[in-house]
Amino acid sequence: MSMEEKIVEELKSILGDLGEVWIQREKRVYAKVPKNLVLPILAYLKDKGFHQLTTITCVDWIKRGKFELIYNLFSLYHENIHVFIKTELERDKETMPTAIDIYPMAFDYEREIHEMFGIVFEGHPRLDSFILEDWDGPPPMRKDFDTAKYVEEKYGVKDYTEEIWKRMEQPYREEKDE
Amino acid sequence: MKILILAGYWILVTILGLLYMGIARKVTARIHNRYGPPFYQAFLDVLKLFSKRETASHGVMHSLGPVIAFAGISATLLFMPLGKGAPVLHFQGDLFVVLYLLVVGPLGMALGAGESNNPNATIGIARALSLMLGYEIILFMATLPVFVHYGTASIYDVIVKQGAFPNWAGLKYPLSMLGGLIALHGLLGEKPFDQPIAPHEIASGPMVEYGGKYLGLLQLWHAIGIIVETGLFINVFFGPQNIVWFFAGTFIVFMLAVIVNALMPRFRIEQAVRFYWGVPLILVVLGILQYYFWR
Amino acid sequence: MGLFKISQGRSLWMVHFCTGCGAVEMPPTMTSRFDMERFGIAPMATPRQADVLLITGYLTVKTLKRVIMVYEQMPTPRYVIGFGSCTVNGGIYWDSYNVIKNLDLYIPVDLYIFGCMPRPESIIDAFIKLRKMIEEGKANKWKDYIERYDWYKQNQAKLFDINKWRVQK
Repeated sequence: MSMEEKIVEELKSILGDLGEVWIQREKRVYAKVPKNLVLPILAYLKDKGFHQLTTITCVDWIKRGKFELIYNLFSLYHENIHVFIKTELERDKETMPTAIDIYPMAFDYEREIHEMFGIVFEGHPRLDSFILEDWDGPPPMRKDFDTAKYVEEKYGVKDYTEEIWKRMEQPYREEKDE
Repeated sequence: MKILILAGYWILVTILGLLYMGIARKVTARIHNRYGPPFYQAFLDVLKLFSKRETASHGVMHSLGPVIAFAGISATLLFMPLGKGAPVLHFQGDLFVVLYLLVVGPLGMALGAGESNNPNATIGIARALSLMLGYEIILFMATLPVFVHYGTASIYDVIVKQGAFPNWAGLKYPLSMLGGLIALHGLLGEKPFDQPIAPHEIASGPMVEYGGKYLGLLQLWHAIGIIVETGLFINVFFGPQNIVWFFAGTFIVFMLAVIVNALMPRFRIEQAVRFYWGVPLILVVLGILQYYFWR
Repeated sequence: MGLFKISQGRSLWMVHFCTGCGAVEMPPTMTSRFDMERFGIAPMATPRQADVLLITGYLTVKTLKRVIMVYEQMPTPRYVIGFGSCTVNGGIYWDSYNVIKNLDLYIPVDLYIFGCMPRPESIIDAFIKLRKMIEEGKANKWKDYIERYDWYKQNQAKLFDINKWRVQK
């Protein structure tokens, strides 16, 4: 049995029929679990030898009304296989417990997801602004954020007016005679 | 009359120093396989710097730092003979005065850099004063056998007592001359010993908050410093020279330093001080022993 | 005086502050192939020692604060060159929520270089044009910043809180 199939068997024996596990291609194993089982599975896989949490991403399914979180785990001891753990959250209603106690490197990823999507992670010590300083709008990576309208209101420039062209074409100012 | 000679001497040394700096940039560029700036580039830099106006001030002591450094190195010119001609002041013990006045430069910069609120300046000046623990000792011990041999402590007397070509002190005490050459490299502040300036690591060290006219004064300080330091080396080890041969000698020694500068990276400060207490110390100690056992 | 203007044009020192993705064109311009030191241009470590600020690429609001801090520390006369099409109208980030669209509203710009990225030959051409402008006395947009300071600050206040980053402890 190849290494991927061994991992699939182990995960299936834990989950039973609460979630699905499948192999997408060589060295990629996906698992879809309910929200309250994510942290136990992360702890289990860390004991098995998945030492690195490469990233946490978020996908906004606006038509179904859900946020999907994907945890990407990597291991050198299992022939460089990536395991992806997916969960789904209700949009704007549910919060997620933080994964810092298991993988301390989740600190920055959860901060970024909170800033870009608005998901609150319970137990995270510092959820303030990370990349966007002085941000005054809604979380920008959501699909219902209208970029063009925001740009026009804030920067005020969509098409060049006569005044702006004149200012750019004349790089120096006329010296007034005193 | 003496005032006019002194003023002319000062201007001549400044112009030659700036010319050497420009030629150094050209030589470095040719080593890097490219054309460099024109040889008069240092004059243009200094003129540009004196035409700028600063935007902020850090207090009186900060502004006085470059002035103290420039004054120290200008005062050294009173004691420095150019080849055969006598300097304005010469007396027994002026070697020590010159060696002390060479320290006034970094000391003035230390006072000024302490007033600016920038930690880079403090790190830079701490490195400059630590580096002095390395090269000052080697420099003094390298000149020691020459002065004891001729029984005098005045630079002008040492020049007069050495004779023409085969009687140069550099040929009688070659190990001391080599040690002095290595110490000179650190005194000039060329790589691998340019820890105080270090533009990429500590944002130019003590010069970080100086712009405009202060930086112009610091460039002039560096220019006069080149001639004074290489001049000291040529005077002590190579006897009386015609003034033209004197400047040719300083040029050759400076170009040796510039060629090593273009090829080497920078040491860390502890590596530099440890280097000075290794091979150069052995060379100068052997030079001192040579005085006692094999004159 | 004429001599001062000539020397200002022939020894331009630039701040080594490379914002955005245009910074990748600075090393080829500085090194042996397209040597820019033969025109007297050298990179300097701090803004207090430099004359020219090159804005090489897009600027987010976060970087704009720092660029304004750097610009205000340079001694006068000081020049700004806008590099690439992101400084002209936002470039490929024309509808991004975090990138500024028109640099001229926040700091005064003397020259724009078009391209994404401009080649090293165009960068050197821009420096030669700047040298000609300095010798004719036309590179004087820095006086504009001093005289119309309130207008520039008003534009900057639309993006961020201008009092917040000046407060020291």
